[in-house]
Amino acid sequence: MSENLSLAVEAVDVIKVFGDIRALDGLGFSLKSGEIFGLIGPNGAGKTTALRIVSTLLLPTSGTVKVFGIDVLLEAAEVRKIITYLPEEAGAYRNLSGMEYLKFMAKFSNKNRDEVHEMVKGAAEICGLGERLNDRAKTYSKGMKRRLLVARALMNKPKLAILDEPTSGLDVLHAYHVREIIKRYVQERGVTVLLSSHNMLEVEHICDRVALINKGKIVAEGKPLELKQQFGSANLEEVFAKVVGLA
Amino acid sequence: MLKGFGNILVKELKELIRDPKILLGMIIVPLIMFPILGGVMGYTMQSAREQAEKATLLVLNNDGGNWSEIFVDYLTSSVKVSVINNITLSTDVVLELLSDYNATQFIEIPKGFSRNMTDYVNGNTEINATVNFFGVFSGGGISQEVGSAIVDSLMERFNRAVAPNAVYAFKSTIIKGQIQEGIDPSILSRLMLSQAIAMPITIIILLTYSMSIAATSVAMEKEEKTLETLLTLPMDRFAILMGKLSGSILVAAIGAVAYMIGFNYYLGSFTATIPTGVSLDLVSLGVVPSLFGYLLLGISLFVALLSALALAVIMSAFSEDVRGAQSLVGNIITPLVIIPALLLMYVDVNSLPFALRILIYALPYSHPIIAAKAVTMGDYWTAILGIVYVTAFTLVIMYVASRLFATEKILTAKLKFRWFRKRAKKTTEELQ
Repeated sequence: MSENLSLAVEAVDVIKVFGDIRALDGLGFSLKSGEIFGLIGPNGAGKTTALRIVSTLLLPTSGTVKVFGIDVLLEAAEVRKIITYLPEEAGAYRNLSGMEYLKFMAKFSNKNRDEVHEMVKGAAEICGLGERLNDRAKTYSKGMKRRLLVARALMNKPKLAILDEPTSGLDVLHAYHVREIIKRYVQERGVTVLLSSHNMLEVEHICDRVALINKGKIVAEGKPLELKQQFGSANLEEVFAKVVGLA
Repeated sequence: MLKGFGNILVKELKELIRDPKILLGMIIVPLIMFPILGGVMGYTMQSAREQAEKATLLVLNNDGGNWSEIFVDYLTSSVKVSVINNITLSTDVVLELLSDYNATQFIEIPKGFSRNMTDYVNGNTEINATVNFFGVFSGGGISQEVGSAIVDSLMERFNRAVAPNAVYAFKSTIIKGQIQEGIDPSILSRLMLSQAIAMPITIIILLTYSMSIAATSVAMEKEEKTLETLLTLPMDRFAILMGKLSGSILVAAIGAVAYMIGFNYYLGSFTATIPTGVSLDLVSLGVVPSLFGYLLLGISLFVALLSALALAVIMSAFSEDVRGAQSLVGNIITPLVIIPALLLMYVDVNSLPFALRILIYALPYSHPIIAAKAVTMGDYWTAILGIVYVTAFTLVIMYVASRLFATEKILTAKLKFRWFRKRAKKTTEELQ
């Protein structure tokens, strides 16, 4: 029991069905507090559905998911108090400036004006957008928007940050910047991160542990180095190919 | 207080007011809508005139002389007339006769009419022949205005044929069973026309606007994937719904006020035809809603607006982008809002065939229009029952909308909708 409570996320035999599509098929994984955990797999493997269930957006058809011991199905409102979620390809409000967007989001966590100010100041440092924060979000490039949103997801020091494809569609420089933000922030604040990515090479550099997901099931789980050694592969891409029988 | 409501509302207002598409709509739509409205008005006037010509004009001949026979023959050749002879006039008699003959307009040819006509035609133009005209006032509207105008035109043509100003019609209006002597129903109608048209137009504008805004506001969140973020925030999910509904109501109200200012100029063309120097105190005639009436009207409008917005939110849940939401909402606005509003603009709901009347009563968005006319005539129960019905409808819609936001359905509704369509397609293929 005490071991379970120390887990940031514990997903057991999760099934999610949409009509005649079985998006998750007995998915199970666990996440320790303070680590960066990556769910990796090809498009359509079930990564986003899994993250949406952990973030209380979707309900599992069966199975249980707990975040720091709190059941996402039974106590969704309590779970929302300790998590932040960054959807894949999410946007900001087009007609709000970056600064207004951050303030809007900060007010949900704080009632005190000074706390909101401090939180927004911290987020401004994280995203590094400088003066551009005063411009409306519709004038931002994709990379700038993503930096803003990552900063939003981390600014209120959540116990668990759930990041769906945090560097998806970004150029090399912006992707590098976003990865640096995540790594630095986790080290400084001790936040637990659950992220998904189909870019297996990038995940190797950022995650403490990874789980390979295919057709709604976890097919391998462990530290990137251990997995590479176990399958005698040079990188996680090769590991994945071997696990699913492509190589 | 709902947690997060104020924050959401302020964000909604900023987003909506800064959206160029919404501002553009406030300028472009009137430019399209008012010409269309002009066309509808022209058609409406034409059909109202045709209807009025078919209506029965009740003529009471208390003179019996030569000229009264000529006058009655002239009326009979021009419109549908029912003639009765020699009845002493009183309020009860007028009301009874109108009811018996199912008429709304009544002309009495008093004793002495033929003598005065003979004198007038022979050159004694100091005294003209007078007839007494009574028109039943039923809350204004285009058909009433046209009906009164036809009697005026009959008098004018008769005088032109016989002698200028030979016959003068002393006009009275029957309001709520009371004869108001010397009040011209035609002028009263023209004054009331703005009220008869104002409510249907307000309904069309306010509901069309706010439904479109509410649908856009939810669809935009889905399109930009900001809704997913919102739904994972530590806040009451009902506050998201209420914030969106309130924001839409406020912005739509600003838009509606802008429209009504423009529309007043448009109405100016009608009231401009009222003769100068005519002064009618509508309040003393009892044809202006009381404070209680206005209150009922306000409540009726508010609940209709709330249910329309919640309905728009539900519709937008079934689309993934703004275009899809606009299209879905557009499909329901025409049959649920625009058609009944245009219909009620010139037709009394009670004059409709039974099935159509039931249909109009079943549509929640026709009730503020029905209420506007009812409270003007002091019929509060019609307004109250309408409010009860629309409130019940609103509660059901609000419950469905809140369930959508409380569960994953707000994100998956489209998916299920597709699945349903896929199932339907599969079934069709199997049948083939």
